[in-house]
Amino acid sequence: MNNILALVLAGGRVDELLCLTETRAKAAVPIFGIYRIIDFVLSNLMHLGIDNVGILSQYRPHGLVRHIGTGEHWDFIGRKRGVRILAPYSGLKGSDWYRGTADAVYQNTAYIEEFMPEHILVAAGDHIYRMDYIPLINFHLESKADATICFTKIEKRSSRFGYGIINNKKQLVRYLEKPSSPSSDLVSMTLYVFRTEFILDVLKDNAAQPSHEFGRDIIPKITKHNKVFAYVFQGYWAYARTIESYYTTNMDLLKHKINLDKWQIRTNLLERCTYRDRTPAYINAEVTNSIISDECRIEGKVKNSILSPGVHVARGAEVTDSIIFHDVIIDPRARLRKVICDKDSRIGAQSVVGGFGKKTFSKQFDKLLGSGITILGKNSSIPKHTTIGANTVIYPAARIKTKYIQPGSTVS
Amino acid sequence: MKKDIVAMLLAGGVGSRLNILARERAKPAIPFGGIYRIFDFTMSNIANSNIDVVGVLTQYKPLSLMAHIENGKPWDLFGRTRLVEILPPKTGEEMSDWYKGTSDAVYQNLEFVEDFSPELVLVVSGDHIYNMDYRRLVDFHLQQQAHATVCLIKVPKKHSHHFGIASISSTGKITAWEEKPSEPKSDLASMGVYVFKKDVLVRTLQLAAQQGGIDFAKDVIPILLKKKRVYGFVFTGYWRDVGTIHAYWQANMDLLDRRSNLNLKAWQVKTNYSVKGEIGDRPSAYLSRTAKVHNSMIARGCVIEGHIINSILSPGVRIHKNAKIIDSIIFHDSIVKSKAVIKKCIIDKAVRIGASAVLGLGRVLPNKDFPEHLFTGITVVGKKASVQSNTNIGKNCIITPGAKVKTHCASGTTIGVKSRPWTTTGNRQ
Repeated sequence: MNNILALVLAGGRVDELLCLTETRAKAAVPIFGIYRIIDFVLSNLMHLGIDNVGILSQYRPHGLVRHIGTGEHWDFIGRKRGVRILAPYSGLKGSDWYRGTADAVYQNTAYIEEFMPEHILVAAGDHIYRMDYIPLINFHLESKADATICFTKIEKRSSRFGYGIINNKKQLVRYLEKPSSPSSDLVSMTLYVFRTEFILDVLKDNAAQPSHEFGRDIIPKITKHNKVFAYVFQGYWAYARTIESYYTTNMDLLKHKINLDKWQIRTNLLERCTYRDRTPAYINAEVTNSIISDECRIEGKVKNSILSPGVHVARGAEVTDSIIFHDVIIDPRARLRKVICDKDSRIGAQSVVGGFGKKTFSKQFDKLLGSGITILGKNSSIPKHTTIGANTVIYPAARIKTKYIQPGSTVS
Repeated sequence: MKKDIVAMLLAGGVGSRLNILARERAKPAIPFGGIYRIFDFTMSNIANSNIDVVGVLTQYKPLSLMAHIENGKPWDLFGRTRLVEILPPKTGEEMSDWYKGTSDAVYQNLEFVEDFSPELVLVVSGDHIYNMDYRRLVDFHLQQQAHATVCLIKVPKKHSHHFGIASISSTGKITAWEEKPSEPKSDLASMGVYVFKKDVLVRTLQLAAQQGGIDFAKDVIPILLKKKRVYGFVFTGYWRDVGTIHAYWQANMDLLDRRSNLNLKAWQVKTNYSVKGEIGDRPSAYLSRTAKVHNSMIARGCVIEGHIINSILSPGVRIHKNAKIIDSIIFHDSIVKSKAVIKKCIIDKAVRIGASAVLGLGRVLPNKDFPEHLFTGITVVGKKASVQSNTNIGKNCIITPGAKVKTHCASGTTIGVKSRPWTTTGNRQ
């Protein structure tokens, strides 16, 4: 794979994940207990056997930088193999923040030219899927395409995606970014293979334009004028863009739509950036249909939930339909239902979090939070005997002063 | 590079009383507590005591241990001034032999010790379960201006014939020393942990070698006692010699008993997560709707659909629906099919237990071939063995590695090749 260079788009900041992305890039959000979202695309690239990967990162990259480390966990280390974080830089000419995904690639032309790859694979770092990229690359090479755009079929059409219309020669005929009423069920996975020479020319032209997004500007344009093919991926694919879709993706693991063992996903073993020396989990409780990570201590009830390492569920506590990040302590007889709880939080004894007032939409984020999820930010400390309703957001380290927080609230 | 102290870790032990668990690996490399190996306890003690140069003396089947140690990184013994070096037996101009005993192994590697010009040398063995700050031992040693200090622990008198036994004065000076006595004068046993003044150690090892001495407890300590200041440092925490199948099983069970003082988290035991992807490259454990888990440790990559009671499961173990695991230890990637019952068993890696098989029930009869190894009711199943469905296996049975069991086995039977682990006089700790 020495004629292909991979670029991972990991710069994005999204407001739709609310306080989960307060301190981290979206690609660095924890998932399935021990992983971060970017692990999926990195593992796909590892299994492809690619030599060099550049990670385009802009928003709060430090967590991501440390997570990627030397790249050894994905085997991106060696005399000819490497991973590079490509952060924005200032210089004589190029001296700006990345103005969009296409601009991020364009500003790293020098990095690309270092390797002289014939083709570039560009992949979003925030999608959850396991894909063998080899058939995609072979398809791209056989069809002698300038660009190959990956699509996946979806059931529920939403105006959030880019849609493609293809002909029977698998050529991309039309591409519509975020249309109000989609006329196709093929959505873009933000996964492209480009002929290097071709795309660098296109990006150079685009640099003078006001907008610099692959989805909005580049793909629609080249679809009209160049040899652009479409490759349709058949497996499981999720885009955890919103809190709702993040939650649903997590629950898909418990519905066995995702088989992590088969997918062979790799993550940084220096969890939370250090050796944590986690012991195996200790369980003395009722646990059903749940993921329990290292060093969890489970003495209460856990049902349909995903627990990251170091979570302590004390006696009499109940955790249902929830996602709990690292080192959260849930005190005796506390009850959590449909909660996403970020790292290092503590839920006081006999507190009740989530599970009631599901129909009351979030007042501040009415478009984002209405299906009954409660979010507790990093370092939350919920005093004992506190009751918190559904569709509520508690921002990181917020001070909770009342014993009752009604559904739909935001506390910061 | 100059260091105040260098640790020499004896990891060549055969562990023959651990029978088939030690057939393909040195005793220190035997898995323990789900994700650890016995060796990790001593190695973590060294790392946590801020001792940063370690020589690991290997001899018997060292491959799994060498892979496990890797470059020392998991214990933070990796860097410009920190290191772990594996010291296997070697040939050379003068010294060219297998290690004949514990002190001979150190004697043959004095060159490694001298490289760091240390004042002190810590000698530890890699096959005990305990947590100790060796710096406290070192402080004691320096305070007493001792030439050598031996770590001692109180043991019940009925066990003392397994150990070196010391009598000490009120200041801690060793006044009498007996190796494996039948009538012990004291209940203080040697833990196989020593700190020496380096110059004294070098001279004494040379002297011992001239006299044909090869063992610390038998040869070196008696020589030192004649002329030098030898002290005993009494350790009071949890300490287990897991040299027998029963002691090994019991120490594992202690992990599940909060009163036992065996606390992995507080002890900060470190292990190699990444070697061969054995631990680290697996997802977290999954417990299905039918799972029931009581007082047990479950490692990464386990998929649990059955019932687990008082047991310890290593990574990648699969327990199918309605299977029952009681008081057992199961190593990596073993599979137990539905409705099987496993009681008080130690099951090695990649074993397959068929549906409705029953292991570990029946009369308590000692094992016929190894009555001295198995008599407390524990059944041991070797690596990659398989037990066909609907087969009953009794207590104190041994199913040797790779054996395929298709018929019922009464308590005390051994199935498969009955060889003992390699036994030798060399370097048995």
